[in-house]
Amino acid sequence: MKTRKATQVTLGPRTILIIDDDVDFVEATSVPLEKRGYHVVKAYDGREGLRLAKIAPPDLVIMDIMMGERTEGFFTVQEMRQTTELRSVPIFVVSSLYSRIEEFKVAPEREWLAHDEFFPKPVDTEKLLKSIDRRLSDDH
Amino acid sequence: MRESAGLEQIVVIDDDYAMRLSCLQALSKLGLHVETCEDGAKGLNSVARLKPDLVLVDLKMPGISGMEVISRIHEIDPIIVIIVITGYATIGTAVDAMKAGAYDFLPKPFKPDELRMIVGRSLQHRRLLLESRRLEMERELLKRRFITFVSHQLKTPLTAIHQYLDVLRNLGDTVEVRAKSNEWLDRCLKRTKEMREIVDDWLTLSRMEGGMLSRQRVKVDLKPIVLNVLKTYREMEEANDVTLVPQLPGDSCLVRGDHNCLSVLFDNLIANAIKYNKPGGQVTVSAEMGDGEVVIAVHDTGVGIPREHKDYLFDEFFRVRGQGHTATTGTGLGLPICKRIVRESGGTIEVESEVGVGSTFRVRLPAYNAQDTNENQKGDPGDFGAEDDIDH
Repeated sequence: MKTRKATQVTLGPRTILIIDDDVDFVEATSVPLEKRGYHVVKAYDGREGLRLAKIAPPDLVIMDIMMGERTEGFFTVQEMRQTTELRSVPIFVVSSLYSRIEEFKVAPEREWLAHDEFFPKPVDTEKLLKSIDRRLSDDH
Repeated sequence: MRESAGLEQIVVIDDDYAMRLSCLQALSKLGLHVETCEDGAKGLNSVARLKPDLVLVDLKMPGISGMEVISRIHEIDPIIVIIVITGYATIGTAVDAMKAGAYDFLPKPFKPDELRMIVGRSLQHRRLLLESRRLEMERELLKRRFITFVSHQLKTPLTAIHQYLDVLRNLGDTVEVRAKSNEWLDRCLKRTKEMREIVDDWLTLSRMEGGMLSRQRVKVDLKPIVLNVLKTYREMEEANDVTLVPQLPGDSCLVRGDHNCLSVLFDNLIANAIKYNKPGGQVTVSAEMGDGEVVIAVHDTGVGIPREHKDYLFDEFFRVRGQGHTATTGTGLGLPICKRIVRESGGTIEVESEVGVGSTFRVRLPAYNAQDTNENQKGDPGDFGAEDDIDH
C-alpha cells in the first residue's frame, strides 16, 4: 500500500475509473475530469471495470448501478471489496434510481465505506468534481 | 397460499352431527380434504385458517346465522365458493342466499350423489375463479413491469442529455469542453431521437392493445410496401455501409391484412437488419408464394443472435447484448410489435440465426384469395387478449 501511494505521488496524476454502460455519461464526465488533471480509465460494464481495476488499482471509482438492465454495479462493488488491493478504494455511486439511494447507503451487505459517496443522476458535475478533489487531496 | 396444492379443501358448517358425518363420507370419496364444524364461529375460524376452495353452510344454526356466515366468508376471500344446505328450503331463502353470495343451493334431504354432483360443479367454478385471478395478477405484474422498464428506458437518454448540457453550461468556458460542444450537441440530438422512438413504439403498442390500429383484413400488395420501406432506408444504408437487396417476384404479392400495420412490420424488420448488420454487409428481402401463404424473409449478414436469446427475442424490452451489440441502442419494443402485427394478420414469424453470420426473420402471411368474398373480414376478436398476450 505504502509503496503504491509513494509511486503515485511521484508519477503525478491520480487515476479515476468510470464504470457506466452509458457512453454519453462516461464522455460527459471524463472530459472535465481530464481537464482537472486526472487520468481517466473507462469501462462500460462491471466485469470490464473490475478487470481494469485489478490490473491497476485506481484512486477512485465512479460507478453506475443499473447496467444491462440489472443492478450490476452492486455486484461489482461487492467484488471490489473482496479484492485486497481494491478493498478501500473510494467508490462514488452515480445512479438514476435516486429514490432508492438511501436504501443503498444502509444496505450492510453492500459494504459501503465511510468515504463512499452517492450522486443522483443526472449528476451535478461541478459538485462531483469538488467531491473528488476533496477526497483525493485528503489522502495526501 | 396453501401448500397442498393438489388437494382441494372443503369446510362443512352444520350443527347436525349426522349431516356433518354423511358429508364427510360422501366427499372424502372424491379425494377431497374435508373439515367439519358444528357452528358458524368455529366454521369461520377454519375458513380463515384453511382458505378452502369450497364451504357448505347450513342456513339454520344456533349462534351466528348462515347468512351472516356467508358474508363473513367472502370478507375473508371473495372467491371461496359457497353452497347453502338447509332443511327449510323455500324459493325465498334460496334467492336470499344467492343474493348474499352463495353459488348454489342444496335442499335437505339429499342423496350422496346429489351432493357430489353439486360439489363437483362448484369446484369447477372455483377453478375458473382461481384461473382468472391468476391471469389478473399476471396482467397486473406485466403492467407494472412495463411502466418500470419504459421509465428506465426514457431516463437513460434523458440523463445523458442532461449530463452533456450540464457540463456545457457550467464548465463550457474551458477549451477542452468547447472543442467538444458540437459533437456533444449531436449526441444530444441522437438521444432525443431515441426517446422519440421509444414513445412512438409505446404509443403503437398501446393503440394496438386498445384495438385502435385498424385490424382490417383487406387485399394488400406487399411489394410496394417493402420497396417503399427500402427506399426510406437508403439514407441510413449509406451511413451504415449496408447494401439493400430486394428479391421480389415480378408480379404482386397479395395478402390479407392492414396496409399500415404491414408497413410498420417491415419497417421494423428492415431497420433491425440494417442496425444489427456489419459494415459492408447486406440486407436481402425476398418474397415467395407458398401454399395459400406468402413467405417474406428479411435476411441480414449481421452479428447474429445467440441461441439462448432466441426465446426472449419477441419479449418487450429485450435487447440482445454481447459481442457486436454493445454500441447499439433500441427501444426494445420493435419485435413485440412485429409479433402482434403478424399474429393479428393471421400469420407467423420465426427467426433463424447464427452468431457472427447473420439472421433471417421469416414472416408467413395468409395469401389473398379472390374467391374469399368477405373483403372486409375483421380479425377474429377472440385472438385478441389471448393468454399468451404480450400486451401491457
